[in-house]
Formats: sequence, C-alpha cells, structure tokens
Amino acid sequence: MSARLIRRKLASQIFMVVCGIATLIALTALVLILYTLVTRGIGGLNLEIFTQDTPAPGSPGGLRNTIVGSVMMCGVAMIVALVVGVLSGTWLAEIGGDTPYGHAVRFLNDVLLSAPSILVGLFVYQMLVEPFHGYSGWAGAVALAILATPIVTRTTEDILNLQPNALREAGMALGGSQFITIRKVIWKAAGTGLLTGGLLGFARISGETAPLLFTSLGNNFLDLDMSHRMGALPIAMYNFALSPYDDWNKLAWVAALLVALAVLAVNILGRWLARDKSGH
Amino acid sequence: MSTDTTSPDFKSVITPPPADSLILEARGVSFFYGTHQALFGVDMPVRKNAITALIGPSGCGKSTLLRIFNRIYDLYPGQHAEGEILLDGENILAPRVDVTALRARVGMVFQKPTPFPMSIYDNVAYGVRLHQSKSKSEMDELVETSLRRAALWDEVKDKLHKSGLGLSGGQQQRLCVARGIAVNPEILLLDEPASALDPVSTAKLEDTLEELKRDYTIVIVTHNLQQAARLSDYTGFMFLGKMIEFGPTEELFVKPKVDKTGDYIGGRFG
Repeated sequence: MSARLIRRKLASQIFMVVCGIATLIALTALVLILYTLVTRGIGGLNLEIFTQDTPAPGSPGGLRNTIVGSVMMCGVAMIVALVVGVLSGTWLAEIGGDTPYGHAVRFLNDVLLSAPSILVGLFVYQMLVEPFHGYSGWAGAVALAILATPIVTRTTEDILNLQPNALREAGMALGGSQFITIRKVIWKAAGTGLLTGGLLGFARISGETAPLLFTSLGNNFLDLDMSHRMGALPIAMYNFALSPYDDWNKLAWVAALLVALAVLAVNILGRWLARDKSGH
Repeated sequence: MSTDTTSPDFKSVITPPPADSLILEARGVSFFYGTHQALFGVDMPVRKNAITALIGPSGCGKSTLLRIFNRIYDLYPGQHAEGEILLDGENILAPRVDVTALRARVGMVFQKPTPFPMSIYDNVAYGVRLHQSKSKSEMDELVETSLRRAALWDEVKDKLHKSGLGLSGGQQQRLCVARGIAVNPEILLLDEPASALDPVSTAKLEDTLEELKRDYTIVIVTHNLQQAARLSDYTGFMFLGKMIEFGPTEELFVKPKVDKTGDYIGGRFG
C-alpha cells in the first residue's frame, strides 16, 4: 500500500470516528432528556389530568384547561401559519422570488425566523393586548402564528425549489396555467415537504412559553372563549415548575411529557399521511 | 456543394415538403437567452402527419428550436424569440397568441420522463380536465384509447389507480406520450425522448411514434442518428444555431448537399 493510500484511509477512519462521536453526543442528550421526561412525568399521568383543571396547591387536579387552551391556540396559529406560509413560500419560489421585493421578503422572513420569541410576545402585547385592555387566547394564537409562519414559508420555498423544472414545464406544456400547475402538480409533488414545514412550525410553537406570558397569560379555569385569558401547557410548565409545591412540580413534568408526546404524535401522523399520498 | 457554414452569408439548404402539406413553418427564427443568441434566422418546414427529426451536435440549438414551437420558453423571463412561426397560417410568436390554447394544440414530451405525482389514470386525464369536462365513462374511454395508442395499456390496465411514479422509465415515458395525445394535439414535440431509456424501451417508444404519425404530426429532437434515419420522414441538421440542411431523411442521409452535414453523419465531428 502506498503512503498516500494509507494516509487517505487513515483520514477517512478519523472522519468516521469523529462523526460517530458527534452523533453519540447528540443522541445521548436526546435520550437523557426523554428518559428524565418519561420517568418523572409518567407517574402523574392519569385520567384526572384530562378531566380536571388546575388545582389549588395540595388538592387533586389536572391539566384540562391548559390542554384545551394549547390545542385551540396552536390550532388557530397553525391554520394561519399554513395558509400564509405556504402561499408566501410558493410566491417566493415560483413567482416573485427574484424581484427586489422578493429579496426583501425573503430577508425579512429570515430575520423573523430567528427573532427571539419574547420579542414577538412583546410586539403582540403592544398591538393586541394593551389597546384592548386584556390578555386573550386570540393574542396568544397570533403570537404563535407569527412564530410558525416564517418556518412554513422557508420550508415551502426550499421544498418547491427542489421540484424539477421539467415538472413545471410538463404541466404548462399540457396547456395549464401557472396557477393550476402549481396547485395540481407542484404542490402535490412537494406534499411531504410542505407537511414537514407544518410539522416543524408546530414543533416550534408547541413549547413556546415566553410569547404566551405576554398574550394569553394563562388561566386556572377552563374557558373556551378565545377572547378571554387562556391556559396553555407551556405556561403551566413554567408556573408549576417554579412553584414550591410538590404536586404542582409533578404536574409540570406531566405537562412537559404531554407536549413531547403531542409533537411525536403529530410527526407520526404526518408521516403516515405523507406515505399514503405518495402511493408507494 | 461546399459552403462555409460559419460565414454570415451562409444560406440554409432546404428541400421542403410540398407546400400544401405543411402544418408548421418556422421562418427566420432567432432566439435569445438574455443577450446570448442561440438561433440565427432558422427556417424549417414541418409536414403534416409525418415525423420530422432534428439532429446536430450538443448545443446546436435543436432543443431550443423545439421549445419555441409551443412557446414553453415563455416560462423564463429574459428568453425571447424573433421571426415567424406559422401554425396553420397563424404566427404563434405574435404577442397576443393564447399560449394555453397553443399548448393544447402542440403537445410536448421531455427528455426525462415527467410523470405527475398522481395515479396513472389521473396523469392521462390531467390535461383533458384542463380543457373540457367529460363524463366518467367518456373519460375512462379516452384514458384507455390514449394508453393503447401509446402502447402502454396492456402493461398498466390492472393498476390504473396506482401512482405513475411506480412505473419503469420506459413506461413513464410512454405514459407521458399518452398524456400528451389525450388532449388530442395537432403536433407532438419530443425532446430526446429516448435518451434516458434502454434499447428495448426505446424500440417500443419508436414503434409507438410510428403508429402515431397517422394521426399526429411529430417533431423529434434526437442525438441518435440511427433513430432519426429509422424513424423520420424529414430531417433537419443544425449546427451552431443555424439550420444547415433540411430535406427528406433518405436524401439527407444518403446524399447530403452540404459538406458539413455529410461530415456529421459520417461521424467526422460531433
């Protein structure tokens, strides 16, 4: 074996080992987090969690009000984020992305993508909470939508850019307009990717606490009216984890576990739907 | 006859089909990718219900010319064509032409198979649904006819509602042909349709085209000289953005009138 070959093999080996170690570190952190979450949270998981509201310290209770609040606010936020994000991402990728306006939109979107969530909370506080003299579920949903939209926009643009031009040409060559080709061919081809964008957005907002503290504030009672204060799992986590009461600490772990499980469930559901669509 | 094909005075040598048999005619067509000129005053007559092949080395402009015939280049801002292309006497390069209607009359099959991410049935029905509404039974019939004509029916009749992406490359390409003829175009453009296919699939595709020319006019760009010789009735040889020679395939291959054509066919360059 020549010296050059030995050196190349050695370099390759070292690289593989380094990659392996990096993966191991990342996985160890993930496993430790999940392990802690499950061992601490699973014990408190029972029916009362889903049927009762925030208890006074020392009395039995559950997380119903916060679960319902999270589902409603995240639901509204994701509807807004998907509509606005997919449309703007499509515009960037297919229509106006190369214009000066397109460059500006892309730049601002990237800025928004990395904006601290607490700033978004403050912004919505100034726009929707202070003028109307009250915290509300709507304000919370808007704050979450502002956080999720840039993720969906970005992923949509990236995924659509991956679609081959030949597919666009083929759609148009049959006499379809650009809009029809995008809607019926390109979106369909990019379906899994668009879904991934939605999932990433959901994963991002499902654990957000800071923006909600400024907007929906939290509510210890079940309230389905989104114009009132609204409870949410991350707020419950924040409040309960910092409290001196053991049973509240326990509820915080359960809330954390529920958020993790929700993200997992939505991911699995999304992948299952995507697989079904591709027809393989 | 010997002429310097690179000189600006060079005139294409064209032996056209009978004037009353033409369906499409390019007259002095130039094409620009931004500021780069890719075609220089190209003339090309296309005979109805015949197969016309375009040959020439890579980058000679044959695909560019083909992509003008259905104005697919319109998708890209910065590209523009000059000159005249008459389809049934009407200039399709005129600004007010409805390109959607044009593309329904002039279909196209691309180099790489481009099945849509939907079922085989929906792939064929896609273009038809854009232009007309049909009952379920009419559509079923049209899908079957189109697939039969593209010689794909027997291979897919039991899995019409499975994804078109699951077919082999050759089957996908014939699916694209079926999709193209389902909208009943007058002309079918094929841009190196066999370059990604194995010899068996290529042979099947060629048989299909042979069948189709009874009802459609076909223009095919190919790198494969044997394919042009086997398949086409007329051939155009292009070089550096110019139509060097155009005529009946047999004449062009056996007794080319321009040295350059003979050199290319004889394998002396390209």
